Parts: sequence; structure tokens; C-alpha cells
Amino acid sequence: MKLTYPHMGEAYIAVKAMFDDLGIESIIPPYSTDNTLRMGAKESPEGICLPFKIMLGNYIKSIEAGADTIVITGSCGPCRFGYYGPLQKLILQDMGYDVDMIILDPPKEGIGKFINNLRKLGGKISSKTYKVFMDAYKVCEKIDELNQVQYYVRPRTKDKARVNSIVHDFKSKVLNAKGTKEISGLIDATKNRLLALDIDKDVSPIKIGIIGEIYTIIDPFSNLNAEERLGNMGAEVHRSMTVKDWAENNLIKPLRREIPYELEKRLSKPYLPVLIGGHTQQCLGHAVNYALSGYDGLVQIYPMGCMPEIVSRSILPQIEKDYNIPILYLIVDEQTGEAGYQTRLEAFYDYVEARSRRRQTIIS
Amino acid sequence: MSVRVGIPRGMYFYKFYPFAKRFLMELGAEVVPSPPTNKEILNLGSRFCIDDACLPVKVYHGHAEYLKDKVDYMLIPRLTSIVPREYICPKFGGLPEMVKYSINGLPKLIDVEINMYKSRISLINSLYELGTVFTKNPYKIKKAADKAAREQIIYDNCLLKGELPCKYIDGTDVSKNNSGPLVGIATHPYLLYDSFINMNLLDKLSDRGIKFILPEMLEKKTIEEKCRIFEKRMFWSSSKDLIGSALYMFENNNIDGILMLTSFGCGIDSLSIELIQRLGRKKYNKPFMVMTLDEHTGDANFNTRLEAFFDLIDRRQAN
Repeated sequence: MKLTYPHMGEAYIAVKAMFDDLGIESIIPPYSTDNTLRMGAKESPEGICLPFKIMLGNYIKSIEAGADTIVITGSCGPCRFGYYGPLQKLILQDMGYDVDMIILDPPKEGIGKFINNLRKLGGKISSKTYKVFMDAYKVCEKIDELNQVQYYVRPRTKDKARVNSIVHDFKSKVLNAKGTKEISGLIDATKNRLLALDIDKDVSPIKIGIIGEIYTIIDPFSNLNAEERLGNMGAEVHRSMTVKDWAENNLIKPLRREIPYELEKRLSKPYLPVLIGGHTQQCLGHAVNYALSGYDGLVQIYPMGCMPEIVSRSILPQIEKDYNIPILYLIVDEQTGEAGYQTRLEAFYDYVEARSRRRQTIIS
Repeated sequence: MSVRVGIPRGMYFYKFYPFAKRFLMELGAEVVPSPPTNKEILNLGSRFCIDDACLPVKVYHGHAEYLKDKVDYMLIPRLTSIVPREYICPKFGGLPEMVKYSINGLPKLIDVEINMYKSRISLINSLYELGTVFTKNPYKIKKAADKAAREQIIYDNCLLKGELPCKYIDGTDVSKNNSGPLVGIATHPYLLYDSFINMNLLDKLSDRGIKFILPEMLEKKTIEEKCRIFEKRMFWSSSKDLIGSALYMFENNNIDGILMLTSFGCGIDSLSIELIQRLGRKKYNKPFMVMTLDEHTGDANFNTRLEAFFDLIDRRQAN
């Protein structure tokens, strides 16, 4: 059995580390490219959201590289992600690929099915499984830290190209690293290399928070490297959701019987009192949180037609008014053009930058 | 003078209006539905709603904007879930907020949440919550709810027998003395019964002598049964209705063709239609057409495609 899984930002690092430690052979799909998306979009329904198309492209590439089993998480929320699995399976079958698909639905959808699926993965559930899982979680934490360092370094260093080359070097090396231990070491080394760059500590860059749909903000390919672009312009970005946050709130906290997304729910309450699915509450909560933490601007990114984020999109203008914080709305799909995207980001950066400078003069 | 409660004619209006109307009337309120969609309302909708929302949400915004100065209260229920363990669509859950933050100067909103995800019993609490806006007497609310439920059952049975909602609600009807082929139309109620949005589809069918069968004319049991082909349970009731009725229409030999209407940007449909196509169309050799509607859809191309579809059915029958 050769497992594979779709890309979602840096998630592959932790997932690969976990499978390595468990002794399960897995194939990382080749990094998403335009070709991946084109192949996925060709077979996907026209109106489906972007993550579906990219994931399908990932599967096809992985299958061509020899994978025969796909594992993904599922959900039964009102978001379309919950039905990705069954439809993608049908599409792959119709394309003539003979693959098995393991959809890990949350245990509350049927604990028997959940355990069965875990068995299918070849893992025996023992104390070791738990340890491996926690190790993988630690990798997620480390990746988060690496990202934070990147956000910090990018606007402050003159040599942006050097940052890029270090990150690319990491991306190519991590594919050959095995197990949580080796990968953790590699992440630490990369972090130190970034921090060793020539940093101008006196710069106080504007701060931009990135909110929106979880896949399109985590996956740099789907949002055309928005973080990198903003960072290179000179903004310190922060991304509201990460793989670690997802794991923490969906896996760790329920195990510890803690309430997931407590802060986000509290902050979004005045705007949206109930859960309606997707990450609407989180998006709104983070928007308020960023505004309260003194951020200068926000960028909301979501795939065209995303149902929950359309609701957030209609509520966000109110937050914009209430907290006096500018928000840029970016909708991505396979038709998104790079030039227009870059222009909009630049215009937004210029606006936010001028605005914060004006405010500072008023204060001083 | 009694309180005037406005109900925008959009989304699940054609599903639950009789219930809402009876319930509010029994509580002493005057119910003011907005008129059937027209050009003005649609334009208002596309002006006030955010641009990437789907057509029915835009239409709903238009109705809300149209009604806002004419009523004291506006009923925009938050329909999170109307069947246990099933949602409708996230936009239904966020509808009160979408309207609230897009339109200025709204009257007081009644945005009671109806969430039967865990159990149907929560509906009772929602109705009490809704009733207390008008009266403090719980017995009166209960009586109103009972009468409303009765009304809804009568209405649902009428639809099951093949009546159209417009006959029940507005007293207008589409003639049905046809002898032509039978076409199944699998579509959400907000596209099917809004004759402005679908450019008088039902009238056009009738004029050509075509009989039609609609999802509301099918027993819930049939729909459930057809949806059992999925390994994973379907967790949208709206999608279930669509897939179940479409698959029934494919399998039923009396039905000569299947027509689907969808609105541009409908998240649920993007999945459901693909599932229907992959599961139904390949297996059954039946005329099948999907038409996408949005606020820019023109009458002429719509008619052309419809005619082509009818011709296809006629030719199949002639052979």
C-alpha cells in the first residue's frame, strides 16, 4: 500500500513525518503547480471551489507517481469539503484510476467506522500511536514558528531573495528527510539560517493580518503566495489559521475536553451568534482580534463561491466600520491572474502604509 | 392597529409561507409578503447584496429592501437545519446577518433560529421565542403553532398532489390540461416557483402542452430511498431533495426528460449536479439539461435552449 494525501500548505511535512514514524510508506504529491490545477480543473465540476480542483490535481499526480491509496479527513459540516471525498472518488473511478480512498470522518459520525479506517491505514492503535501523533503535532508547532520567523525577517531584511532561497532550500530538503526527529532538526536549522540574515531592527513595518477560508490562506499556491508578496513589499503579515491551529482545535482540544476556538467564538458573537459552518466564526473572530491588537489592515482570501466565507464577506464591512480597519477582499479561483492580483495587493499596501504613517504623524 | 410583519418572498418562502402566515395571524399580526419578484426587486437585490452571492440570496436582499419601509417587523428566520442531522446551506444560516449588514434602515428583525440538527423538539422552543415577540401568553402561542402546523400539512399535501404554490398563496395558476410528454424538473423551490427568475418556465412548458413533475410532488420516502446509494450520508437536505428527485426521474420510465435549473455560484448544486450526472446520466439514456440562471440571464437564449430540449424529447418519442 502506498499512501498519498492532498497538499494543504505545510501540512505535508507533519503528515509525512507521522507516517514515517508509524512505518507507513507514503508519497508526497509533487508541489502544486499550474499544471496540477489545470489537470484537476479539467475533471472537476465547473462551479466547485478551488481546493477541490487543486486536491484532485494532487491525487492525479500522486497516482502517476505510484500511489494507490488516498487518505483525507472528512467532515459533516455544511461546508462542501465534507463531500469532496465521495465525489473525487467517483471522478477518479470514471477517469479509470483504480485507487482506494480512506475518508477519516470525525469519530462522532460513527466510532466503528473511524476505527476501521484507522485499521485500514495499517496502524495498530497503541500507546505508540499517540506518541507519534503528539510528535507530529510538535512538528506543526515548529513549522508555525518557522513561519513566524519568516514573517518577521522578510520586511526587515534587504536581501529578500536570500529569504526565498533559504525557504526553497528547506522545501527541497524536507522531501528527503525522514521522521519527526530529522524534520524537526531541519526546521530548526532553517530558522537559524533565517535569523542569521542581516536584519534592520529599527524598521517598524505595517502589520497585515490574513483571514478567510482555511485552505486558501494556508496553501501558498492557491493564494498566489500572498504572504510572500506582502512581506516583500515590506509588511509584517500574520496568518490567522495554521495547520497547528487546526490540529489543536479539532484534535487536541476535544481530547482534553476543552472548548475549541473559544476566543474566536467570543469575539465574533456580536456579529454572528451561532455556528453556521466552515470557518465563518473564526474569520470574523480573527478580524476583530487583529483590529484589537493594533493591526493596520486585513486581507480576506477565499475561493470563488465559498458558501461560509460569502457570509463572512457580507459581515466584514461592518467590522471594517466598527474598528476602523481597512480590509482587502481577494477571491481566488483557477482564473485568477497574477498581474491583477499583484496590483491589488500593492495598491492595498500603499494605502495601508500611507494611512498608518498619517496616523503616526497625528499622534506624534 | 395590528403589527405588520413583512416576509420577503425569497429562499424558502414557497416552502414555509403558509405556516408562517397562519402562525403570525393567530398571534394577531398582519402578514405582509413582498410581491412576486420583478425587475425592480431584482435590481435592488443586485445593488445591495455582495456581488459573489448566488442569485436567490440577491433576490432575497431585493425583497427585504423593498419591504423595509412598509412593515414594523421583518421575519428573516435563521434556517440552520430543518431536518435532523442535515443542514440546508451555510447561507441560510447566515441570512439574517447578510441582510442586516447589507441593507440600512431595516425595521426590527425577527431572526429566530430554527435548528433541528440535534432534534425536532428544538422547533418548539424556536416557536415560543418567535411567539413572545407578539404575546406573553404561552397557551396562545401553542394554539397558533398547532393551527399553523395543520395549515402546513394541508399545503404540503396540496403540493404532493401536484398543485402549485402560486395557486395556494396568490390564487393564480398554470393550466395543466396537457397531453404532451412528461418532464421532470429537479430544482430548488426558490428557482422553480419564482416565475420571474426562471422566466415563466412552468407557463412555457404548459403552453407547449408539456406535463411536468416537480420535487415537491414526490414522497419524502422516495427521495430518502434514492439517496441511500451514497456510502457517506448526505448532510444537506436541499441537496438530498435534488439528487433524490433527479435519480427518481431518471429511473421512472414515464418521465421523458429531466430539466435542472441552478443559479450561478450555488455551492450545493455544483456538487449535486455533478453527482447526478455521474450517477444518473451515464446509466440512463434520457434527455437531460442543466440551465444556469443569474441576474443577467436573457430570455432569448433561455427559450432557444428550452426549445432545443423539447425538440429532443419530441424526436425521441417519434422514434
